[in-house]
Amino acid sequence: MNFSRICLSLVVACMALPARAHHSFAMFDQTRTVTVTGTVKEFHWTNPHVSLWVYAVPQNGAAPELWTIELTSPGNLTRAGWSRHSVSPGDKVAVEIAPLRDGTHGGGFKKLTLTDTHQVLTSDFLEKPGLP
Amino acid sequence: MRRLLVAWLMLAACAAPAAAAELPDWSGTWTPFIGDQMRRIKTDPVPWTPAAAAQIAAMAAEEKAGNPRGLFIDCLPEGMPSWMLISHNALEFLFSPGRVTLLGESDGNRLRRIYTDGRAHSTDPDPSFHGESIGHWEDGTLVVDTVGVLPQAYIAVSEAVGLPNNGDLHVIERLHLAGPDTLHDDLQIIAPHVLTKPWTTTRIYYRQRARKYEIVEGECLQGSFTPSTDKYGNAIFVPVPQVNGNPKPQ
Repeated sequence: MNFSRICLSLVVACMALPARAHHSFAMFDQTRTVTVTGTVKEFHWTNPHVSLWVYAVPQNGAAPELWTIELTSPGNLTRAGWSRHSVSPGDKVAVEIAPLRDGTHGGGFKKLTLTDTHQVLTSDFLEKPGLP
Repeated sequence: MRRLLVAWLMLAACAAPAAAAELPDWSGTWTPFIGDQMRRIKTDPVPWTPAAAAQIAAMAAEEKAGNPRGLFIDCLPEGMPSWMLISHNALEFLFSPGRVTLLGESDGNRLRRIYTDGRAHSTDPDPSFHGESIGHWEDGTLVVDTVGVLPQAYIAVSEAVGLPNNGDLHVIERLHLAGPDTLHDDLQIIAPHVLTKPWTTTRIYYRQRARKYEIVEGECLQGSFTPSTDKYGNAIFVPVPQVNGNPKPQ
């Protein structure tokens, strides 16, 4: 195993799982990924959980559906490189989520791509002292 | 007589609270090592009583099936010892003469007052979520003894799994630097109504000094509301319909 591979292994070992607080996220089916593509309605940079509401347009031309997506806390997202200005109402986004098990339009956040800039945001952050 | 005076002065010096200059530097923001929290549940298993273990198994099965209600969704404080055990949010230490204060992110009620002024425990402390904490310093280690915790305060292993301590909880902690920017909280949790013996485990925190990681205000209930305006145009909060602590999909 060369040095760079060792470093990579350490980084992966120190990477937090999607961080949660306040309540369990077991109501989301972590074995599935659904991509919600649409326009941001609201982005609440609020403890204990940041929330994102997205209007998704179904491919069959039906009326837009409002999806409710739950993220971790502002503090944890800051450590993952976010700020309260990372997402704004009107942004076009593709959001990967672990969908609610009951089939309603909501889920736990996995990954977001801002369609216009191709910027990718996740909630993964390193767990170590002295983060930059 | 002079010997007696010297002996008295030495005794007084030992009993006196540590001066601020003698205390270690615990400034900055401390973030919990979440991955290690999860690992320690396996390496330092909780010595639940058989009756408690049966309840824990049922709760774990509920979580696995995807329907936990969650222990903390009512926004009551996590309290002791759960805050130290399972928090995913940062905390900070404030040192002042005769006292150490812990403040935590995400929940406005995350606050511990640890008195290091040499006092003893009250004879009958009013029960509270964080209890009555008395501390003293031993060579850079803050030793904290906590009693007076509400019986309803959870001993939690996750946000969905844990049990109330059910009374007579006693927590002894040794908080110390394990590296320049790594802090360990070595906990001994004594809960005779749900544990067969004291549970010893450790939680690890990492120091962050960059200003962007400073703790921000967090009110647990704020996530249950959304900004709006009333009929006069005033900025107000209105409730967000929720299911099990999540915004209810519309």
